[in-house]
Amino acid sequence: MGDGGTTYSGVNPNAVWLNSRGIWLSYVIAVTILHLILLSIPFLNVAQAWTLTNVVHNIGNYIFLHMLKGTPWETNWDQGKSRLLTHWEQIDFGEQFTTTRKFLFLAPVILFILASFYTKYDPLHFVFNLSTMLLVLIPKLPQLHGVRIFGINKY
Amino acid sequence: MAVEDVIVEPWYMMQMVQAFLQAPVYHIVIEVLLIVWIIGLLFSKSYRIQERVQLTEKEKEDLLAEWQPEPLVPDTPEDHPALHPRVVSGKAGLKVVVDGKECLNLATLNFLGMLGNKRIEKAANSALYKYGVGSCGPRGFYGTVDVHLDLEDKLAKFTRTEEAILYAYGFATIASAIPAYSKRGDIVFCDEGACFAIQKGLLASRSKVVYFKHNDMEDLERLLKEQAKDDKKNPKKAAVTRRFVLVEGIYMNYGDIVPLPKLVELKYKYKVRIFIEESLSFGVLGDNGRGVTEHFGVPIEDIDLISANMEMSLASIGGFCCGDSFVIDHQRLSGQGYCFSASLPPMLSVAASEALLIMEEKPGIFEELRTRCKWLHAKLSSIPGLKVCGEPISPIMHLQLAAQSSRTEDTTKLETICNECMNQGVALTVARYLEGEEHLLPPPSIRIAVNVELTEDDINDATSVITNVAKMVL
Repeated sequence: MGDGGTTYSGVNPNAVWLNSRGIWLSYVIAVTILHLILLSIPFLNVAQAWTLTNVVHNIGNYIFLHMLKGTPWETNWDQGKSRLLTHWEQIDFGEQFTTTRKFLFLAPVILFILASFYTKYDPLHFVFNLSTMLLVLIPKLPQLHGVRIFGINKY
Repeated sequence: MAVEDVIVEPWYMMQMVQAFLQAPVYHIVIEVLLIVWIIGLLFSKSYRIQERVQLTEKEKEDLLAEWQPEPLVPDTPEDHPALHPRVVSGKAGLKVVVDGKECLNLATLNFLGMLGNKRIEKAANSALYKYGVGSCGPRGFYGTVDVHLDLEDKLAKFTRTEEAILYAYGFATIASAIPAYSKRGDIVFCDEGACFAIQKGLLASRSKVVYFKHNDMEDLERLLKEQAKDDKKNPKKAAVTRRFVLVEGIYMNYGDIVPLPKLVELKYKYKVRIFIEESLSFGVLGDNGRGVTEHFGVPIEDIDLISANMEMSLASIGGFCCGDSFVIDHQRLSGQGYCFSASLPPMLSVAASEALLIMEEKPGIFEELRTRCKWLHAKLSSIPGLKVCGEPISPIMHLQLAAQSSRTEDTTKLETICNECMNQGVALTVARYLEGEEHLLPPPSIRIAVNVELTEDDINDATSVITNVAKMVL
């Protein structure tokens, strides 16, 4: 289950499932499908579709990686150590700058660059794209590992 | 609207490149910064966030230089009791043959006299021929035999709870049950005098343990009030913290009974869950032997989990937990001792089932046991030089020295008393603890266990032996 050939029982699967084979490709395909769905909505033009892809991707990224805490299953092996940690903090057991983390850092940035290109650098779209990109990049910094600003989402 | 407006206008590459060349400066700057950052990121090495203090090379060398290796086997004194165990031949029933001498058994915890019971032996023998000796597998991997399910059923019906779960080792029962429910960030209020198995379970659970004074409900209430105050200050943390109170029915180290009605009152007032470890009170207290809940008339639904050892009254091996299905079922996947140890040998399950049947058929033995406890307690209280600790109806009593000095001296005196008593035909034992590991080391004592088969003559003889020996030694 969720193995990159690296899981064994007694280990938090949340920490290793993103190292699995084919995750990067699946991620790219998922974002592409999202974009194609948004492009097929008739009343959106291309710029709006790109900005929406970027924004939806970033918000989804934030919710799943930085808002939801703990694991969806029983943690018999660690007596609740990951109960208060977000998914991002659990990846690779807290090791910073691993390959998975680098990939997840890059994804919003590349989307931002693409979105800026396709919106022809329009200022309003720029505001949305930049703000959501920062929303998603700042919690990924190692300096913010385990930090809960104003105690939001602490328990 | 014209058709052209609905169809999205095509974006030509030329237009895109033109837009790129006319892009605002701030945007270009941000994108360049991002790209530089990405390249820096791609080349950074992975590291763990340091949680410990970093030592310099010199500090490391100093620490290495001053390290002295400890011997693998530390020196033990020649007269350490573990080096001279008393060897028992045959069954340790009412009379036990120790080191070749037949003695009255006041040392082993055979409260209902089930050890050596012919009916149980017959049932166990037929189970042996049917199932073999061991079950050779944990409960999840073909180690579940029909007799296990049968015994769990019987135990649930006997204790009048919804479900019971069996463990293969008595110590592991409570030591697995606690970490299954209480995790990091939870709080357990535990009695100071709890037995070693409970202490190990609390250690394994990684939760915050708050000890209250032995059997002192006022102290517990004070601690609960403090916790409630802290909870009011931090309600978000309080909403995710689970709180438990962990007590024993009859305490192994002291022989007291927990004041259960007051505890249940505190439970509903401060919203904590009660876990009771009923190893010594199961099969002893209550009109039908159901334990401390029956003794006080507290409905069993008020207690969240009862855990008991079958190695005392039921004269089998292993332990069980009983309670609501919702609670007990959780242990089938989270109880470490349940999932990762081989299951109870079928022979011993059948023995325990048979013992339960005997308990159901003859509910009079519990009152008889309590009468004998009261007799023995009364007799032992009159011995000069020794004082008895424990409730009169508790089958476990601790004989402590009336005048206590240092621990080693007291232990030596008590050991001498035990040895002398054994020479005169009464088998006694000094209560042993892992002295470096216990949370609260009780004073040295002789632990006396009552057997329902003791007659009044036995009790009188034993008391006179102990009195004489005590007079001699002290």
